[in-house]
Amino acid sequence: MRRLLAAALLTGVAACACSAPEPPRSAAPSPAPARPVALPAPTGGRPVGSAVLHLTDGSRPDPWDESMRARQLRVTLWYPTEQRDGPRAPYMSPKEAEPLLTGSGMPATAAGTLSETGTHSVRDAAPAGRGLPLVVLSPGFTKPMSTLTSLAEDLASRGYVVAGIDHTHESYATTLADGRVAGCLACDSSGDPGFRAGLVRGRAADVSFVLDRLTSTYARLIDSGRIAMAGQSIGGAAAVAAMVADRRVRAGIDLDGTTYARIPKGGLSRPFLFLGTPQHVPGGPDHSWDRDWKALTGWKRWLVVAGAEHQTFTDVPLLAEVIGLDPLPGMLPASRGAELTRAYVAAFLDLHLKGRRQPLLDGPSPCCPEVTFPAQ
Amino acid sequence: MRLATAGAALLLAAGCSVPAPPRAEAGFPACSPPSGSLTVTPTTIDVVGQAYGCILADSQVDGREVLTAGFAALVRELNRGGRDLPEAALPAMTGDRAADWAAFETRLRAIGDRVPALRADLAAATLEGMAAALGEGHARWERPPEIPPDHHDGDGYGLGLRTNAGAALPPLFVTAVDGGPARAAGLRPGDVVESADGELDAVYPDARPVRLRLLRPGTGRRWGVTLTPAVYPRDPAALRVVRSELLGDVAHVRMTGFPPDAADRALRAISRLRAGHTLSGVVLDLRGNGGGSSTEAVRLLSAFVHGAVTAHECAADGGCDGVWTDDTVPLLGLPLVVLVDHGCAGACEHLAAAVKGLRAGTLVGTRTAGAISGPARPFRLGNGTVLSLSARRHLGPDREVVDRIGVPPDHHVPATPHDAAAGRDRALETALTLLRP
Repeated sequence: MRRLLAAALLTGVAACACSAPEPPRSAAPSPAPARPVALPAPTGGRPVGSAVLHLTDGSRPDPWDESMRARQLRVTLWYPTEQRDGPRAPYMSPKEAEPLLTGSGMPATAAGTLSETGTHSVRDAAPAGRGLPLVVLSPGFTKPMSTLTSLAEDLASRGYVVAGIDHTHESYATTLADGRVAGCLACDSSGDPGFRAGLVRGRAADVSFVLDRLTSTYARLIDSGRIAMAGQSIGGAAAVAAMVADRRVRAGIDLDGTTYARIPKGGLSRPFLFLGTPQHVPGGPDHSWDRDWKALTGWKRWLVVAGAEHQTFTDVPLLAEVIGLDPLPGMLPASRGAELTRAYVAAFLDLHLKGRRQPLLDGPSPCCPEVTFPAQ
Repeated sequence: MRLATAGAALLLAAGCSVPAPPRAEAGFPACSPPSGSLTVTPTTIDVVGQAYGCILADSQVDGREVLTAGFAALVRELNRGGRDLPEAALPAMTGDRAADWAAFETRLRAIGDRVPALRADLAAATLEGMAAALGEGHARWERPPEIPPDHHDGDGYGLGLRTNAGAALPPLFVTAVDGGPARAAGLRPGDVVESADGELDAVYPDARPVRLRLLRPGTGRRWGVTLTPAVYPRDPAALRVVRSELLGDVAHVRMTGFPPDAADRALRAISRLRAGHTLSGVVLDLRGNGGGSSTEAVRLLSAFVHGAVTAHECAADGGCDGVWTDDTVPLLGLPLVVLVDHGCAGACEHLAAAVKGLRAGTLVGTRTAGAISGPARPFRLGNGTVLSLSARRHLGPDREVVDRIGVPPDHHVPATPHDAAAGRDRALETALTLLRP
């Protein structure tokens, strides 16, 4: 599946994550247009609401478009709610699905079906609860935040407020406040030296700004002392960068992302989880986790999921049929990938933000033979 | 040389714009263009043999000369290691390519068996010697650079300074301080390097300290400092290959290389600056541009001139092909000034020579590097390394040789320590004056 998915939706991310991705195998479009799918139901007990915020940071220009004097960010919130009924939040708009597909080298014919993917969040429902822990999510390069919806909804159903950031111009499609869909300007320079180091630094600034806003706007709902961040691919690398830059981020998760931020000499003592594919083993081709593992001085785990590929931690395998991708034999079934991702991410957050013991993180578990602990 | 290598690396990044590989010589493994991931293993004698086959298949060179040069390099390496051997004599070369290789290979293996620890180093030295036999710039054997363990994306390695080394005019001075040891020691642009007892452009793992004698002309201060090469962070914004800004009514576009899509990036930048502005011209700043894809350089040039031959690529037998402008690129209809210096190499010089020869714009600055031997064809060797061969020579639009000569600018505006210290960019000022309506 790695190759197959890399071929289609995901070239940009794959290229970002591994120093040298294997050459893509071409994916034949499926013969008949697939029907829309629904994401797996959240596993926590709480109903989930979702709302979109458009935030503007007037203190700095957009890093990719010099004509934009302020950084505009689209933030999607997922949170527990009392409201079980009501229209579901859209997965993404057709106007977003189309550039995402074409930008990824796929025919845009599936755009309509992709945008009809079923979510489990009640649109604009009133949040319920107070003093909840907050998790910031950051997607892979060229991907909209929607690609982490399955994880976001699951965390919200477990009592977290989730803030997913669309980092404008770092995705093929970001709908801005005025309705315009901004494209991937950062893609222009993605091969430049230092591009990724600069990008994660910019994302860290995005995160700090979003935290400023959310902790003041939702001062009752969010416990500003319990904030973590998780991301896939370069979004995971951004979690390291955000923790280095902002002490409010108490814990971080990197889902298979090569890391680029420089951890200061004294090390980073807050909890961190590396969750990766078999490409990310200690001593493997990407030296960045080995390098940073030594600089992580607090609670840490390095977990490898057998049969996973770079997108296993996102919604992409769940949507493979819709966008016309056939999984390769030997890869984790999409639903299993989502299950493991949700379980380990939630275990880490429950341990560090809710103080609940998590045997899942102590070592290999009978439930999850795919997950190994290759580094000590 | 270093610049040319940087250019080649960019070209390799293009990866796939490679002509059909030459047929392999009988008895040698096939030569194929590079593809896929880079996993490099130690150099073996088989890899040397493969390189020999690629060289013979791609050029008219006498195989005996190639093998002799390779063996001479092997002997030097052996002596450097203090391990001369009775077996280390070149067997008789007959002119039969396969038989000569067989004799050569047998001798190489015998030597390798005597000093197994040196085997890979000796094979590498031999291959380098064979490549050098084709003449400066005509063959390059590229191995991925070693990466320091504490390296982060965008980091630099070395002393953290740039100088005007390579420029025709003395004195040698610091043109930019990028960070690292030089910044920590308080060096500034404009500081004159009166002496240095080591390599100013150290490449990892070279970590030998360099003692510098410096003069700061503004104050007359003279002092000594010892800098040790190290990994240091650089400003990612400054590392972008294409940067653009509006200076009055002029689009100032800086390009540090010609990676694939470089032309489109530069042209998009110009059109963004043009939106809502009436531009009076374009300054294309190619100082320090190490080259890359000539296709990209030609596409960019084609926004300023159509229907012209930008260069000639000539085979050893004298037959030449013209490299035409890409007339599918819309003309911008704007006056052009190109800034060049001794760091402009490879594809950058292709563009510079064409701008000058075709009068597509004005060149300002100092003479270019003179490092454009000809179009390189990269071939993947068995251990994951790449051998780039350029059998054909590059000539400018008037069939002038550019390699080793460089392109002299229309307006000679050299950088000086005084200007560097003051942060003054006289070449850019000249360009803006030329474009003033």
